[in-house]
This record gives sequence, C-alpha cells and structure tokens, in this order.
Amino acid sequence: MAGFSEYARYDALGLAELVASRQVSPAEVLDAAIARTEAVNPKINAVNLKMYDEARARIAAGLPQGPFTGVPFLLKDLGAFYAGFPTSFGSAFYKDFVPRHDATLVERHRKAGLVVFGKSSTPEFGLAPTTEPALFGPTRNPWNLAISAGGSSGGAAAAVAARVLPMAHATDGGGSIRIPAAFCGLFGLKPTRARNPAGPDIGEGWSGLASAHCISVSVRDSAALLDATHGPAPGDPYMAPPPAGSFLREVTAAPGRLKIAVMRRSLWDRPLHAECLKGVEETAKLLIELGHVVEEAAPTLDVAAQSWAFRVIIAANLAANLELRAKALGRKWRPDEVEKVSWEFALEGRKVSGADYALAILIVHAAGRQMAAFFQRHDLLLSATMTEPPQPLGEIDMTCDSVDDYYERQLLARMSVTPLFNMTGGPAMSVPLHWSADGLPIGIHFGTRAGDEATLFRLAGQLEQARPWAARRPMD
Amino acid sequence: MAGFQEYEEYDALGLAALVRRKAVTPVELLDAAMARLARHNPRINAVCHVFEGEARARIAAGLPVGPFTGVPYLLKDLYALYAGQPTANGSRFYQGFVADHDSTLVERLKAAGLVIFGKTNTPEFGLSTSTEPALFGPSRNPWSLAHSAGGSSGGAAAAVAARLLPTAHATDGGGSIRIPAACCGLYGLKPTRGRNPAGPDVGEGWAGMAAAHAVTLSVRDSAALLDATAGPAVGDPYWAPPPGRRFLEALDEKRRHLRIAVMTKAPADVPVHPACTAAVEQAARLLGDLGHRIEPAAPTYEADLLRRAARDIICANVRNGLELRGKALGREPRPDDVEPITWAQAEQGRRLSAADYARATQTVHRISRQILAFFERHDMLLTPALAEPPLRLGELSMACDDLAGYLRRLLQFTPFTAMFNATGQPAAVLPFASTAEGLPIGVQLVARFGEEAELLKLSADLEAARPWFGRRPSLQ
Repeated sequence: MAGFSEYARYDALGLAELVASRQVSPAEVLDAAIARTEAVNPKINAVNLKMYDEARARIAAGLPQGPFTGVPFLLKDLGAFYAGFPTSFGSAFYKDFVPRHDATLVERHRKAGLVVFGKSSTPEFGLAPTTEPALFGPTRNPWNLAISAGGSSGGAAAAVAARVLPMAHATDGGGSIRIPAAFCGLFGLKPTRARNPAGPDIGEGWSGLASAHCISVSVRDSAALLDATHGPAPGDPYMAPPPAGSFLREVTAAPGRLKIAVMRRSLWDRPLHAECLKGVEETAKLLIELGHVVEEAAPTLDVAAQSWAFRVIIAANLAANLELRAKALGRKWRPDEVEKVSWEFALEGRKVSGADYALAILIVHAAGRQMAAFFQRHDLLLSATMTEPPQPLGEIDMTCDSVDDYYERQLLARMSVTPLFNMTGGPAMSVPLHWSADGLPIGIHFGTRAGDEATLFRLAGQLEQARPWAARRPMD
Repeated sequence: MAGFQEYEEYDALGLAALVRRKAVTPVELLDAAMARLARHNPRINAVCHVFEGEARARIAAGLPVGPFTGVPYLLKDLYALYAGQPTANGSRFYQGFVADHDSTLVERLKAAGLVIFGKTNTPEFGLSTSTEPALFGPSRNPWSLAHSAGGSSGGAAAAVAARLLPTAHATDGGGSIRIPAACCGLYGLKPTRGRNPAGPDVGEGWAGMAAAHAVTLSVRDSAALLDATAGPAVGDPYWAPPPGRRFLEALDEKRRHLRIAVMTKAPADVPVHPACTAAVEQAARLLGDLGHRIEPAAPTYEADLLRRAARDIICANVRNGLELRGKALGREPRPDDVEPITWAQAEQGRRLSAADYARATQTVHRISRQILAFFERHDMLLTPALAEPPLRLGELSMACDDLAGYLRRLLQFTPFTAMFNATGQPAAVLPFASTAEGLPIGVQLVARFGEEAELLKLSADLEAARPWFGRRPSLQ
C-alpha cells in the first residue's frame, strides 16, 4: 500500500489523533481504507456497498469536529439508514430500498467526525450467526477464508479483522455483535437496551431485544464511540439507565475485585467444545490472577419458555417488516426474494397469535428480573460466546426446509448465552482471549446487569492490558 | 361523626404532619376513614374490599417512618397486589385470587407509611372509562349519584371526592386516572412511562401504555407520593428519564414563562361539549394572565391508526390475561367467565397475529414520535379532559357485545387521553369548572416526556390561582 502505510497499526482514536495533530489528513486516511478495501474485499467479501465518492465529498465539504474526525467507518447494511444510499437488509426484497433520511445513530456517527465509506454485509434480516446472504454471497473470515466470519455483523467483523478499518458499526438482536467479534478475534460489546438510539423510524428493535453499537479492535474505541452516540433521542419510548460518566474513562479505571460467575455449559445445557472450554478455563485462571473472585454459578431460568418467546418475537417482527415492505411496493413478496428460513419465520409470525406475542414479552421481561436477581449476587457472568469454534462456511443454511431444525440445531445449539442478554437488556461483550490450536479465534463472553457497561469496560480494559490482542492480525 | 372532626380539612401531607406532631394518631385517622366509609360507601360503592383488621394490625406493629406515615390509603383493585388479600381486577374470573406477595408499588406505598385498608372498584380489567363492573356493581359519582364516577379508577375517585381519604391509588392505560379525576373534580396525574414500578410480575402494562399513580385532592400530595414511589426497580426492562430532584421540591422552583399550546378540537372529529371547551378557554386565559404564552395549536398525527394500534395491543393483552388465568385454574377461559365486551376484546386479541402485535407496537412508537415532535416547539399542551360532562350510569355498558359501538361511545366521551399513554408522556387533569347541574369539568395539561416536575409546577400554580380543595359534594 502506498500513502499512509501505518494505517493498520492504529485504532480509531489513534487515527483521530493523527488527524487532529495534522500528521495525516482525512483524505489520506480514507485513501488508505479504500486501498485496503480494494486489496482484501475480493477475498473476504465484507463490504457490499462502496460509498467512496460520498465519503470524499463529505471530507471536501469539511468534517464536524468530534472524537473520531477523519476516521473511516462502515455501516452494517441493516437498518442504519444513510440518506440516498440503499439499505438492503441482506435481502433481494429490499434491494432497491433507498432511505431518504439518516438514522439518528448515523447522524451521531457523522457528528463524531466519522467518515462513512460503505456498508458491510449481513445475512438476510440479520437472522443468522453467519453472514452468507444469497444476495451478496458469503463473507469470509480473514483468519481462514473457508470459515464463517460469524453473524449477523459478519461483514463488519471481517472488515475490521482484515484491518480495512479499526472499528465498524454493528447490531445485536441475539448475539450479532458478539458472535462475529468472537469469530474474527475482535472486541464486541452490545450495550444496554435503549443506550443507543433506534430511531427515527422505529422506537425499538425486536421489542427491545436489539441494540446497535460496533465491533472494534481496541476496547477504548468501543467506549469512546459509545460516549459519542449514546443517550435518548426526542420521541424515544423509554431510556436506558444513565451512565455515571464517560465510558472511555472506565477503560483505564481499576475494576476492583469482581465476583464473576462462570458457566461451562450453554444455557440449553449443551457442553462446550474443548477449545471453547479451554478458553473459559484460561480466562477464569487469568481473572483469579487479576484478583477477581470466580465461582461456579448459573442462573435459574425457564430456558424453554425463553427460547419460544425469542422465536415468537423474531418471527413476528420479520413478518411485520415484510408486510410493511410489501405495502410500500404494492405487492407481496415472491419466494425468490426472501430466503427460505426468512419466509418460514414470517409465516410463523403470522400464524402465532397476538396474545402469544404479549406472553412472549412477559417472558422476556421475567428473564430480565431473574437475571437482575442473579446479578445482585454476582457482578458478571463468564462463558464462551459460542459453544463451538467458528464453523466452515455453508454449515448454517438459511435455505434449509425445516425452520425448527434451523432454529434449534443451527442457531440455538451454537449459542452459549448471547440471546439471554438481549432479553434482559443488559450489556454483554465478547473479548478475544483465546485462539484454537488451528489458529481460529475463540471469543469469551461476559454479561452483566442492565445499565452497567462501566463494569464491562473496566474489566475489558484490564483484560486487554493483560492479554493484548491488537497485534494478532490475519492476512498480514 | 365522632373522633377526629377536621379529617376532611387536610390533604395527605397535612394529615401526615399532624401524625408527626402527635396531634392525631394513625388509629384516629383510620377511624375517621372507616366512619366515612360506613357512611358514604353504601351510596357511592367506591370501595369493593375492606381489610380493616390488616390495617389495624400494621398500625399496632408500628408503621414505617415515611412522608405519609399514618395516612389511610386505598388500592385500586386492579393488579396492585397486596399479600394475603384478594385482587379481583373487577372480574368474576379472578374471584378467589389471593396474592402471595406485594407489588413493588405496594411495597413502596407501605414503606412511605401509608395505611392501606381496602381496595377500590374498577370495571373489569380496567377496560371501561366508567366503573360499572358486573361483579361489584357501579360506583356512583359523589356529585350526583345517577352519574358515573368515570373509570377505570372510578372507585378511587369516588372515594376521594367523598372525602373517605385525601388520595387513593389509581392506574391509567388510556386515561383511567385522568378520566375519573375529571368526573369527580380531583387532580389526577398519569406519570411518564416507567416512572413508577410495574413489577415484579410484569415489566410493563399494555406494552408500556399503562402507568400507575394516584388521584388526589392536592397537587403537592401527587408530587410527594410520586417522590415516594418513583424510580426503577431491580430488573425493570427500561427507565424513565430521572427527574434530577424531588418532585415536591420542584414545586418551590422559580417559574419561567412557558409556551403553552391550546387544543380544543378533538381527534377523529369527535364533538366537544361547550362546557368542556369553555373550561379550556377559561384555563387558557388564566395561564395567559400568569404570564405564559398561549397559542392555539395541536399535534398532527395519524389518530385513527394510533387508536387502532393501541386497541390491538389492549385486545391481545386481554386475551393473554384470560389465558394465564385459565392456566392457573386449569381450564380454558369461557365467555361467561367475563363480561361480554371483555370477551369480545379477547376474541379480537385472539384473531390478531403476533405480526399484527409487533406492527401495532411499531405504529405506536412511530406515531408517538410525531406527537412528541410537537413538544419540541411547545412546553405544554392544554386540552379538555373529556369531550362530555360525566356520563349517566349505564351509558357505557360492558354488558353488550357490540364492540365497535362500545368503542365508538368510549371515544366520544374520552378522545383526549389515550394518545398520551401511547407517547408515554406525563399528563394531568385538573378540576376547573362545573356544569349547570354542578358536575365537575376538568382540563388536561400534558408535559414533555419525563417532565412531571414541570407539569406539577404549572398544576400547582393553577391550584393556587383557582383553589378547588374547598369544593366538595354535599352527599347529604
């Protein structure tokens, strides 16, 4: 790469500092990001929409002064509206959908000085823990091109892992920030429900299960971005517990002596793969060395009811959104326009009753209360992000015939605890603390009480110092 | 009546001050309340369940020291669980249901020192704006016994208007605090979504449209009571914006001039009775005299769509409620378990799909943003409380199965309240005028999301300018 050759060595705050001190210009940084995209995207297929001219025009027009002024950024191609550019949701049914206004979150990204230069790929409607939409083809894991980058923010994770950029927008309705972060050896934090704005087109995603934030190399980037984007917007239906102060400051604050519960099986009582278990054990050992208290404990939950409720909410929202799109197009969706599993989920969302949806919400809120009680006894819950190491592409199949099989065997069986924190609304993170014998990243998962990102950032900062991962880079 | 003669001269804070000074004992206050109950309740039928023994036992055991220590209190018989006491929700389907724990709100009311001695009447599941359940019979308006006390907190409002007690618990999912307050000449404030706890059994009511608080004689009681009960509980799904100071203290804050929009036309072209319009015009003039800027303006929003979406949410929740009760009883709910209109709503709820429910919440959030945008330009909105003076008993009967006709009648009476359950904003009704025959007419003030303090301040100013405390029904 010509030009700004050290681009890949900096995190987003590092790049912003170079820009602020005029050692490099936003245009040079963007050129570096574009060069890197052009070099690696043919291999990893992470960026599905390039907005280079738009990015250049924004820079030429003058960027707002913010914590990330001049830092290149990618939006996940799911809901994060950028006026005048398509948002496909990874689906042929939305292929030509072009929003006329920005999402509130995107407004805040821009106000922070970020330079959006493209969109990152997602499985259709974010419904898979892998990113292999029929519309754009599979995103590949930079650590091994035959392996999935995870999902649904797989494009974002692959792009960051390949150092196309140091931090990319991502969303999480059941693990979609944390899973790809785990698969690609990155840091991914899902914030508390309503911490980041969901508007203006919706008040919440998936009845409050979905949160937006980012996947990043460094912990401090994640914290600083959250500082820049969080807070209620006018017209929001409710808010998150306000933080005590800056998240960025938490990253370097001492976490104190935390009481950490460790789970060695999944919520659904499945054993962890030996590599995932090893990651958990090593992390537990490290936590003890760092002075924390680690104790075996798992929350008591009605997992069967929660799995049902989670499915009802996803299916119903999918159906509602497809109906909305159909109304806008003035026609029904065709079988070749949505993938098989999406189609089946949508049918299910129309079959299940509204009373059942009300019950599903009740169950989700009850999970929040149960976990809140658990977190009165423990500060954190430690587990693996997934029960298995990153799987080869093609194993998770949204074209399969049985939605039951897809949901139970392909989705839930691979998850360890991620959707639980979408139900409770509490923040949770995947930290890249382990690599398998064959060199694939294994994410370690921590979740905590609603509103307490501070504890996560403090611990993540400590872990990042103890076991730095930024220098571990694929495709070098 | 023997005993403490001046009982009716005080609001709840006034009575609590007397108890603190030992000028009167909690037992004397309870005696005073019971004497008035014995005297008036046979005519007004406001209280449907009395647990005097429990109240006396709690006094004997020593009351918690709080802002309301020793003040008699009544709970609305709808979802406000009191351990060991029945909760009928105005429905024979819940006859025999005895809670084994307190609701979080009830815990807080007890901790504030209130002496709860019974439950007030409600229409079945709070589904009507007149309180005429088949189970307990109609509550009557103390100002005219042939008239409705409003609903669904009609029992609470009738009890306070008849001066059985100075304030009583009430809930509001579509106007159910404000409507009976208007009918009975009281102050009724519906707080912001999430302000008072809904738990522990649910995370929210009616997808966040329902809020609990009280009907009161004085504005300061409403403020102090909210201070005592507000704030998130462990495991709540989301928060209301923290007020930053105590509501009672806010009443002493320096006032600023507000931009107050005045709306006299009802949504959906519902005709407004001249007495209701006149009260608003009178209030507007007074607010202008107080130095505020008054402008005729109303939010523009998709009123019909919002009303249908809210109705879908209510119907689905009614059906889910029946199913849960059926499960507890080990049988399917039957039409004769509930009143005809309740069954009709449950049936509509059963016919709705989960996708319909998801879309309904999306619609509520989307249209709420349109309404809340109006409050970016206006500090406060003034509207009639009701479109008609209090109805005669029997005009809003749940004993019919013409759901469409019933809902039409509901809308004609109360077109101004439910939209603020959708937005989650605080809204309050103040007694402001009366009809030629002496029935109360209220006006409604609506503040920005989270700004109960501003609402209480303006309410207190109107209360000072046009005191209503001394106006009481004769009940002779």
